[in-house]
Amino acid sequence: MTLSIPHQQRLPLMIAILGFLFLGLFLLWPLANVFGASLLDSEGAQFTFGNYTRMLGRPYYRTAIANTLGIGAAATILTTVISVPFAFALARLPVAGKQAVQAMAALPLVLPSFVSAYAIVLLLGNAGIVTRWLHDHGIAIGSIYGATGIILVYALTLYPYVLLPTVAAFKAVDVSMEEAALGLGSSPGRAVRTVILPIVLPAILAGGLLVFIETLENFGVPFVLAEDMPIFSVEAFKLFIGETAANPAQAGVLGVLLILTTALVLLVQRRFLSRRRFATNARAAPPLLRVGWGLRIAATLYCWTIVLLALVPFFAIVVLSFMEFRGPVLHEHFSLGNFAGFYDKAMRPLANTLIFASLASLCVTLVGVPIGYVVTRWRSGTATVLDVVATLPFAVAGTVLAIGFVMSFNAGWLVLTGGPLILVLAYTVRKVPFAVRSAGAIVHQIDVSLEEASVSLGRSPLQTFLRIVAPLMVGGILSGIVLTWVTVASELSATVVLYSGDWRTLTVVMFQSLEGGGAGLATAASTVLIVVTLLPIALLYRLVRRYELG
Amino acid sequence: MAGIHVKGASRSFGSVRAVDQVDLEIGEGEFFTLLGPSGCGKTTLLRMIAGFCELDAGEIRFGDKRIDKLSAHRRDVGMVFQNYAVFPNLTVAGNVAYGLRARRVPAAEIGSQVEAALGMVQLGGYGERMPHQLSGGQLQRVAIARALVIRPQVLLFDEPLSNLDARLRVSMRAEIRQLQQSLGITAVYVTHDQEEAMSVSDRIGLMNQGRLEQVGVPSEIYRKPATRFAAEFMGTTNLLEARQLGLAAPVTVSLRPEALRLADEAPADWPRLAGTIAALEMLGPLTRLDVALANGTVLRLAMLDQPQRPLQAGAPVTVAYDPARLVIVP
Repeated sequence: MTLSIPHQQRLPLMIAILGFLFLGLFLLWPLANVFGASLLDSEGAQFTFGNYTRMLGRPYYRTAIANTLGIGAAATILTTVISVPFAFALARLPVAGKQAVQAMAALPLVLPSFVSAYAIVLLLGNAGIVTRWLHDHGIAIGSIYGATGIILVYALTLYPYVLLPTVAAFKAVDVSMEEAALGLGSSPGRAVRTVILPIVLPAILAGGLLVFIETLENFGVPFVLAEDMPIFSVEAFKLFIGETAANPAQAGVLGVLLILTTALVLLVQRRFLSRRRFATNARAAPPLLRVGWGLRIAATLYCWTIVLLALVPFFAIVVLSFMEFRGPVLHEHFSLGNFAGFYDKAMRPLANTLIFASLASLCVTLVGVPIGYVVTRWRSGTATVLDVVATLPFAVAGTVLAIGFVMSFNAGWLVLTGGPLILVLAYTVRKVPFAVRSAGAIVHQIDVSLEEASVSLGRSPLQTFLRIVAPLMVGGILSGIVLTWVTVASELSATVVLYSGDWRTLTVVMFQSLEGGGAGLATAASTVLIVVTLLPIALLYRLVRRYELG
Repeated sequence: MAGIHVKGASRSFGSVRAVDQVDLEIGEGEFFTLLGPSGCGKTTLLRMIAGFCELDAGEIRFGDKRIDKLSAHRRDVGMVFQNYAVFPNLTVAGNVAYGLRARRVPAAEIGSQVEAALGMVQLGGYGERMPHQLSGGQLQRVAIARALVIRPQVLLFDEPLSNLDARLRVSMRAEIRQLQQSLGITAVYVTHDQEEAMSVSDRIGLMNQGRLEQVGVPSEIYRKPATRFAAEFMGTTNLLEARQLGLAAPVTVSLRPEALRLADEAPADWPRLAGTIAALEMLGPLTRLDVALANGTVLRLAMLDQPQRPLQAGAPVTVAYDPARLVIVP
């Protein structure tokens, strides 16, 4: 039998098939099971929409939907309102210490958001240090629990999602367009409104959308701060783990609704953005505006305030971890007790976190980079489908994916529950979209003719990929690995469903001590987690700097 | 080394027939140029030969061996790209050695072969440099050395000079021609620049809309254009109805500007035409005139610079043309 597949398509097709196999087994199959469970009656025999009508009929879950969407929308708006002026200041105004601001502004992306939430509780909660101190001085502050606290934490931890693309967009505006607007008689204000903002708007919207999706999926922040307020992802978790009786069908309903909501948001964004794309051909970033001292000081203060406010919770928790806790109660003097406790109880979870994060980053790279290569280089229907499937995990909350994993790999020919592998696989699937995107962006920068030159010199497409494409991608892949590693290390939403026995991670330790009132251990674990996330970033930064200087 | 035989090669992209039923015979050791405007299919045809573009129909052979179903990396071609495509992660020597390593040439021989190839393109001693330290012209030399060193059956050039500045283009094309001749490798060269094509080629295949419009040696294509398109693409020409020159035949003719002269410098048997100078363009070695005839026809005329002869727009002038250079085009 002869293969009738054209020779240049064999490698991409092979990669696509492997990609589909992996994503089919570890993404589509679990999701299909979640859908399936949501559509079956309590005996698991009859097809029914009963679960949906029952869930949506209960005010409690309707409130959960409203809360989740409302908080998400409010957080998105707040984030955007904070970030757009910030971005403009970074791109176009003289801000003192701009480099430092820029470096620090990216940090919340890699620091675990629920640590920030927890720090807020320790500082401003009912028994929080600041709350008590204010109380002693006769000042009462409102409750930080519920929507206020959640929105605040989201805004402080998610603002880089809007800030970073918007800064890039402001810098990509061709200065001659601005000059054209001014030359035609616009005031500077009008030029910003009518020329610059429309060009920057797609970036702002794309960033805002990321924020919204993150809020829909986030488990840790509402878990810490929601108290009695029902929130989607937390309710799905409770229904599935079931303190009284686990109810996979109803958890499935919430999961499906969550996926559909995210998918809908993504679709709306695609439709909206595809009609508003502006190509600018700016050769260099536009120059800084000349402004007076007043505006200069205001811009500097504004940028520094936001950056520092976002980092204060992390700083606070590091400080607090060196104080003594008796149960949940803090005593304000130095102590290494928390770390002694950590050493006793949490060394194994620390090791697990390090191992899982390493394995997952390796797997994500092996799966995501070839897929990113194929969807960028190979224009065909198959590649488009692969792209969509590989992006799908982005729309699936970690909790929901994890529920699907348990439903799929609890019995049958492939049993993974109860072991460490299921965590690694879940992390891999969750991070694949990011690896595909970043690998695709790098491949886009590599001229196709380099590959053609290699092939015409006698290297097969596979050898070409390994000898030419991969080495050229190494820098980008390395940053991708570090980012995956860091975000996996602080993953909570899937972990909390999938961990078992000996295979707890640092985040699980924190989660459990929060539930059980072991605040001291939680702060120590937070500090360790912060160090574990910042260390690789710092190393990478140094490596990149050295590479650029050399 | 082998000739290239293309039979009935076709390829469509959507509804566009990029290459349409092309038959082509390129002899062993020949320097053949595919010339045409952008989008004419010349690059697609070259990429078919290289193995980067599937054929919808037809076949391609190197000598007796059919290669159109063969993977690109098994075709034994050397290719030079427009944007150099020098591997940025390898040294100059690493680039040149790349194809030799793929062919499992013993390590002991690689060094001397690389140095010889670099010598051929005047880059001796540049082996240890990294590509980002080289200029565009040097990068293209590396690419040529890299393609030559593997002694391919066929050498392919995809607009190799269009990223270089004008002066370098002229000297590089002579070098490429000279290298190809000394090695005797069959070469296919793609360009949209007719002057470049004429200067390097043994034969030219003029392409338009996916088809070969005319194939021939450069002088023949220039002097005897087979079609209107060929006449117009190969440099400036006067395309006229014969009656505009006062001839009876109902045909279209092509008359090159240099086949026209001022009447007092032309042989006595050349037909004369009276008119006025409509426009005058001084280009240095050449002077171009637009001469408007009484019947409204504008003729373009080119002559060498004549400092002793004052010419002025608006002045009456009589011109003459060489009847032997009047070409009838369909």
